[in-house]
Amino acid sequence: MSWQPEIDELHRRRTLAEACGGPEAVAKHHAQGKLTVRERIGRLADAGSFREVGKLAGKAKYDASGQLTGFEPAPYVMGIAHIGGRPVAIGGEDYTIRAGTGFGSDRRKGGQGGFIEDLAFEYRIPLVNLIDGTGGTVNTAKRKGYTVVPGYGQDGVERSVDLLGIVPVVSAVMGTTAGGPSMRAILSHWSIMVKGSGQIFAAGPPVVERAFGEKLHKDELGGTAVAVDTAGTIDNVAENEQDCFDQIRRFLSYMPQNVWELPPVVNGGDPVDRCEDALASIVPRSNRQAYNMKKLVGMIVDRDSLFEIQPTFGRAIITALARMNGKVVGIIASNPMVGGIMDFKAARKQGHFTELCDMFNIPIILFADIPGLMVGRESEADAILREGVRARYIALQSRVPMFSVIVRKCYGVAGGGFIDRGGLNFKIAWPSAEWGSLPVEGGVKAAYRKEIESASDPATREREIEVELKQLASPFRTAEAFAVEDVIDPRETRPYLCQFIDSLQGRLASQLGPKLRAGVRP
Amino acid sequence: MARIEVKSEITGTVWQLKAKPGDKVEGGDILIIIESMKMEIPVITEDGGTVKEILVKEKDPVAEGQVVAILEE
Repeated sequence: MSWQPEIDELHRRRTLAEACGGPEAVAKHHAQGKLTVRERIGRLADAGSFREVGKLAGKAKYDASGQLTGFEPAPYVMGIAHIGGRPVAIGGEDYTIRAGTGFGSDRRKGGQGGFIEDLAFEYRIPLVNLIDGTGGTVNTAKRKGYTVVPGYGQDGVERSVDLLGIVPVVSAVMGTTAGGPSMRAILSHWSIMVKGSGQIFAAGPPVVERAFGEKLHKDELGGTAVAVDTAGTIDNVAENEQDCFDQIRRFLSYMPQNVWELPPVVNGGDPVDRCEDALASIVPRSNRQAYNMKKLVGMIVDRDSLFEIQPTFGRAIITALARMNGKVVGIIASNPMVGGIMDFKAARKQGHFTELCDMFNIPIILFADIPGLMVGRESEADAILREGVRARYIALQSRVPMFSVIVRKCYGVAGGGFIDRGGLNFKIAWPSAEWGSLPVEGGVKAAYRKEIESASDPATREREIEVELKQLASPFRTAEAFAVEDVIDPRETRPYLCQFIDSLQGRLASQLGPKLRAGVRP
Repeated sequence: MARIEVKSEITGTVWQLKAKPGDKVEGGDILIIIESMKMEIPVITEDGGTVKEILVKEKDPVAEGQVVAILEE
């Protein structure tokens, strides 16, 4: 006796689930330039690698004889797949089914902290969440007959917090997102939003209009210009869904599977001894003139390996993942094209990126050209000092080796954040480097006020003191005292750093595993 | 003919105009220099083309993201 009737029933039910919210809902979704969740997973994952779990979950209707007459699949689709040949836990809402809202009260199928998060946790594999849902609905109360306190039963946030210390978590905001799914977006190591179709907010336009009478389009409230460029709530922007998948694959290519492994080494064949002549002249002789730091860093790291994190937020600092002789490194670089002065956004970005690198054992190279913290009333009101000191606190708690390349300016509290004071304190300087508590030009008047004021010609005396101090500021004098470990020809930067990064791989292997941090962050 | 907008990366004051309408420019060329926080910050075009309009003059204040020049490809 065969089980063929039941097997046929199983396949029939799978076909019903694959119909998503029905042909009309799917056509409407496609017309907006959006894919259904299975199509998304199909494009993102290695071809044919997705194995779905829980396809049969949903709401069924039966007739009196027990025959299935209708089926609405659970909106959250999930399972296991491969990205770049490595397994990941992956899931996302299908917007065509009830706008991707929650599946009743059962968090395990798709709710935060459900099966997919548990899978990532138990297997120690990265989690990718393709978010296109708005969380709970008020309908739930009608069905249950009572309302629930947030975190009813299994809350889910606690599992997301566990994951952030164990495996890489990536979130993509691919539709309008609020409530629970928006927490999921933020409880990640790296997040991305699709321009035009993605929005995220604490509450959408109707709630805002009721509260403040302000009528806003959802893009004005939580589109990329607000959520990514201005607030830094989400890290990167994707131009379209395909770009989103490409960037997710790229981000994960720099990540280990979990904190017990080192990031994968991928050697693209770029010679270690490649010394770009343009580096000798990229920094202008006048320290008032800006230059392209991204181009500078691009000439030093492995060719085409630079992947910027948060490129549009806190632009005074550039944060990027890259490779040196195939090994993953984190880059933190000043950006003189926007003045390079650290504002509160840049400080927050630097701290977050340092923590990401520390968690996944990625050594950091800092390229300094930093005149200091942003001054002024507005900046003080933005808590620049607290944010700047917090960035330094995070760096000092980190246990990954860091290298400082002092390209030009390195001043004050912000400059100190570019130095590995908690580790080897290893600094190499270019001949264009200058450093101190504050630039000579700004500090002479304050430090020598009495002497300048009592001189017969105060202006001349001020200039004399400036010249005298500037002579002392030559990087060679600091190198003589071994107060900077080396001054190098800018062209040597790549071979120099590659050799040190190759040499510290054993150190990284010695500190694998979760990291516990004590203390209260300022 | 494609119209290309070139924007200032930073808030500041126009210090020098380096290009004028009719000039042929290449990607990477400096069109304008903005002075901001005592630094000279160049406005660089990513694309080549012919300068159609320079929308600011020296000493004008500019905002981050403001379109300061128009090119035609």
